[in-house]
Amino acid sequence: MLRLAILFAAAAVLTAQDGATRENWPHYGGQTSAWRYSALDQVNAANVKSLTPVWSFQTGDNEGGLQATPIVIDGVMYISTSHNRVFAIDAATGRELWSYHYELPKGFTIFYGPWNRGVAVADGRVFMGTLDNHVVAIDAKNGRQLWKVNVEDANQCGCNITAAPLVVKGKVIVGVTGGDSAHRGYINAFDARTGRQLWRFWTIPGPGEKGHETWTGDSWKFGGGAAWMTGSFDAELNLTYWSVGNPAADFWGGNRKGDNLYTDSVVALDLDTGKLKWHYQQVPHDVWDWDTAYENVLLDLPVNGRQRKLLLNVNKGGYTFVVDRVNGEFVAAWPLVNNLNWITGVGPKGELLGRNEPVVGKSKIICPSIGGGRSWNQGAWSPRTGMFYSTGIEWCEDVVAVPETPKEGQVYFGGTFKLTHKPLKGEAGGHLGAYDPVTGKRAWLYEYKYPLLASVLATAGDVIFTGDADGFFFALDAKSGKKLWSFQTGSGHRGSAVTYSVNGRQFVATPTGWGSALAGLLPQIWPETERLRSGSAVFVFALPEPAK
Amino acid sequence: MRLWLAIALASYALVAQPDPAIARGDKLFAQGCSVGYCHGAGGSAARSPRLRGRAFDRDYLIKVIRNGIPNTAMPAWGDRLTDADIGDLTGYIQSLATAPINVAAGPSTDGPAAPAIEKPIDIPAEFQNGRDLFFDLTRETRCSVCHRLNGFGTPAGPDITKSAAIKVTDGPQVLRFGRPRGVRTIVLKNGERFAGTTIERNASLTHVYDLNSNPPVLRHLQNTDIQSMQRQTNWRHRSVVRGYTVEDLQSIWNYVRFIAAKK
Repeated sequence: MLRLAILFAAAAVLTAQDGATRENWPHYGGQTSAWRYSALDQVNAANVKSLTPVWSFQTGDNEGGLQATPIVIDGVMYISTSHNRVFAIDAATGRELWSYHYELPKGFTIFYGPWNRGVAVADGRVFMGTLDNHVVAIDAKNGRQLWKVNVEDANQCGCNITAAPLVVKGKVIVGVTGGDSAHRGYINAFDARTGRQLWRFWTIPGPGEKGHETWTGDSWKFGGGAAWMTGSFDAELNLTYWSVGNPAADFWGGNRKGDNLYTDSVVALDLDTGKLKWHYQQVPHDVWDWDTAYENVLLDLPVNGRQRKLLLNVNKGGYTFVVDRVNGEFVAAWPLVNNLNWITGVGPKGELLGRNEPVVGKSKIICPSIGGGRSWNQGAWSPRTGMFYSTGIEWCEDVVAVPETPKEGQVYFGGTFKLTHKPLKGEAGGHLGAYDPVTGKRAWLYEYKYPLLASVLATAGDVIFTGDADGFFFALDAKSGKKLWSFQTGSGHRGSAVTYSVNGRQFVATPTGWGSALAGLLPQIWPETERLRSGSAVFVFALPEPAK
Repeated sequence: MRLWLAIALASYALVAQPDPAIARGDKLFAQGCSVGYCHGAGGSAARSPRLRGRAFDRDYLIKVIRNGIPNTAMPAWGDRLTDADIGDLTGYIQSLATAPINVAAGPSTDGPAAPAIEKPIDIPAEFQNGRDLFFDLTRETRCSVCHRLNGFGTPAGPDITKSAAIKVTDGPQVLRFGRPRGVRTIVLKNGERFAGTTIERNASLTHVYDLNSNPPVLRHLQNTDIQSMQRQTNWRHRSVVRGYTVEDLQSIWNYVRFIAAKK
């Protein structure tokens, strides 16, 4: 009987999604399930205080800071910087192996910003989206460009690519920015070997397609729907999950009456065809700029006694939505922040209650601010503690909606905003919390005077790593939230730390370098943050090696 | 006789046309801004701030150049430069936004340079429809996917304005039945075979646009991987203009001829 129970337990473990990384950090979110959790436990809550810098790498380009997630495969780290530079680095020593510099057209004006949030690596190739809306493949051995494809003319669409692609089964899948431009978004898959486009999913359905009726007039052509962060993948279901950003114009929806599908939605696409399997729209007819754009965390958990395949996604509006990733059924929603007044709550079917919308020509206080109840920096899921770790931001804005006529590829915002010095509740600031992923019940909260804008890393050593605006990279106890260790890297944190091992030694690596559009908003509330220094470096830590 | 049917291009090499205003700004910058211990050659910074690889707001630059910055080494240029000069200078400084700063490695391909961004010619209302069709983002197959014109698009195919066929007034005929001479059948040693346009070839690499994809892919092939590149091809221009009606094609052609006449 006992043996049978063990067999059952083993079977359950086998079928459950294993999203933990080990020696490598192969994908943007760790594995394609975006847990940002490593099974490595050499560094743990008991010994993390001894963590020591091993090497650092200066990229030489600090415009916009360093926002990337390094990819580590077989002892080589690949990292992109602003202006689409890529470096391959010996992950144990910090020695540069090669560098790549993407050539932008002469006279090209960068919109949004010069940053890049990461590369994807597979089959000996490195893939990256570019500031002029191309996708390139680079030889992982020597940094030579193998192919590039122009997804859409950047100057025409007012869009580009800053997110890391997702590469699975020989397909390079990538979205596009442009949610605040008069642009129609899409998600594309390219053949990793040849660069040929395999499929395109329009995030706004065209005439004759289901969902097109959720847009009035010509608004579908200019309705935004940028999938500007990296998707996830479930191999068993063969579905790739992407989050689609806000409809344009951001604050004014007068000429796009209707739900505006598939903006502010999670879409589940068949990996082979790009066909929509299901969608879940978090915010129908968004007028707050509440992108559904962040990571889709795939986790398997019991809900009301039944084991379910779930997908967790934090909406920019500060609510976390949990759905069934097999069919898109609503499971739960819970708030990540205290300052939240655009709705009064979420009903039992996921419906938004008590909408509080910006008004044309009249100022209104909306919380959180346009910067979000959280930014795109990702949370982490630890199956060991059963907690989802995420940052959150307490802040509000004064917003006025303004009707606007779209012009292809031009900024299409539909309003103006100003951050307010004090939010409705408490003080403006940031925090990192540990939450039950389904109920949102909070185990602990680590508070900070500014927003925390770096991703979270969780490990089997029960340590949580992240970094702050002041330049501290630090470790918290995953169970209590107690600070265990910190190190000053000299510039603030806006990237995503990872962990990996080479020859049995565990390393913890963090990008450092303050910058980004959101960092530029902070001085509206905290004037002193204008003086936070930029930077662009990778710092790598390990436990001291025993004396020989 | 059938020459006009060829959507032909003698040369695929697109020579980057530097914007004359930026060139003037470059000269002014060299004379006034990079001298001494100031902003350094190409804005790469000496004693004054680096301008290269940074994005500035145009109005901000104009204001600072005109008025200077009090209590700093930045003088006011308003009485020494005309508004036009300041405009050119601003354009030049903005063009440095994407210039490499101090990364030793150059671009990691010796392939064709990306076409420079040119200021588009204004389109009169009568050619607007042709322009919109050429660049229609709601069509996955549109002219600009393969042709660069008036500042937008991908140069996989030729600069149409330089084609001999541009003299022909019956555009739809050319666009539907023309046989592009530049398209080849490329066969790789691994057995792969595709239609492509050759952009550049050097001692080790051949740069081709793979037309078996929409959008076309610029591939940097090792010469040693290529079995053959044949002029015979089954690729037809007809296959990519199917989505346009004859009237559409005439509008497009009128627009292209308008741009060609302006050049």
